[in-house]
Amino acid sequence: MKTESQLIEAAQAGSPAAFADLVRRYRDGLLRFLLTRCASYADAEDALQDTLINAYRYIRSYDPRWRFSTWLYRIAIRNAANGRGQELAAVHDLRDEESDPLLQCIAESETENLWVSARRVLNDEVFTAMWLRYAEDMSVNDISAALERSTSWTKVNLMRGRRALDAELNGTYNESEAYG
Amino acid sequence: MDKLANQLRRDAGRIDARVSDELDRRIAASLQGVTPLEDSTVAAAPRRTALFWWASSLTGIAAAAAAILLINPSRPELPATPGPAAIVAVVPDIDWNSETAVFTAPLQQELDALQSDIRKAEAQVKADIGL
Repeated sequence: MKTESQLIEAAQAGSPAAFADLVRRYRDGLLRFLLTRCASYADAEDALQDTLINAYRYIRSYDPRWRFSTWLYRIAIRNAANGRGQELAAVHDLRDEESDPLLQCIAESETENLWVSARRVLNDEVFTAMWLRYAEDMSVNDISAALERSTSWTKVNLMRGRRALDAELNGTYNESEAYG
Repeated sequence: MDKLANQLRRDAGRIDARVSDELDRRIAASLQGVTPLEDSTVAAAPRRTALFWWASSLTGIAAAAAAILLINPSRPELPATPGPAAIVAVVPDIDWNSETAVFTAPLQQELDALQSDIRKAEAQVKADIGL
């Protein structure tokens, strides 16, 4: 069983198999993240494929001072913003519950998934910061690096994101006592 | 850990998305056709030899000379303006030791002529009025 740094070295030497092993543990998380940014499940799969291809293409510029997951998310975020993201932003308002890939992947339950609420009340960048913090357990420094923002910006916007989400939830969920 | 953070983590886990076998095969096939690019940060700053700097300096000088040659013939002829050396040549040498009279004599002659004219005019007026 090779370590992550060994797999990175092998991938940098030109081994696609090593790269596939390297990203295996991150793929599901990336796909979940991309589902929140794409108009359909198929688009999210395509975006994942593009992200991994770009990551392999530029694997030699990977800086080991970063966590590999941070670097991958940075590519995914750029990919979503520069490519399909812009195209999909136009259809963002048009999607309904039946076609929304995020809703398709959430089991029906009594309370709404918080990430659906978050996507409704937060802008893309703050949503992404919140996702990286709470879904991926990234540090503030890693989030700053992934978003190419300062740590101050990240801290402030994580706090604002929490406040906005709290306000939304208090209005929506007071009666259900989800948050007391 | 606060409630909101816990709920966000739990709800992220409730998003059921996994890479399918079909997508896995697609990604693996795509990767086979890709070659990692050279590190752009290394390629952007290669070591420069002394020969490179000499060659670039000579190229720069040659380009400047070519530009001068190309631009100057197309300019209209400008009237020649004397340079500092020419101006010095135009100004006569002054012998600061020569006598002052050399310079004031013409003015003195002019003054004498004017005074003589005034005297003649006074005499003519007196004659006319019978004084």
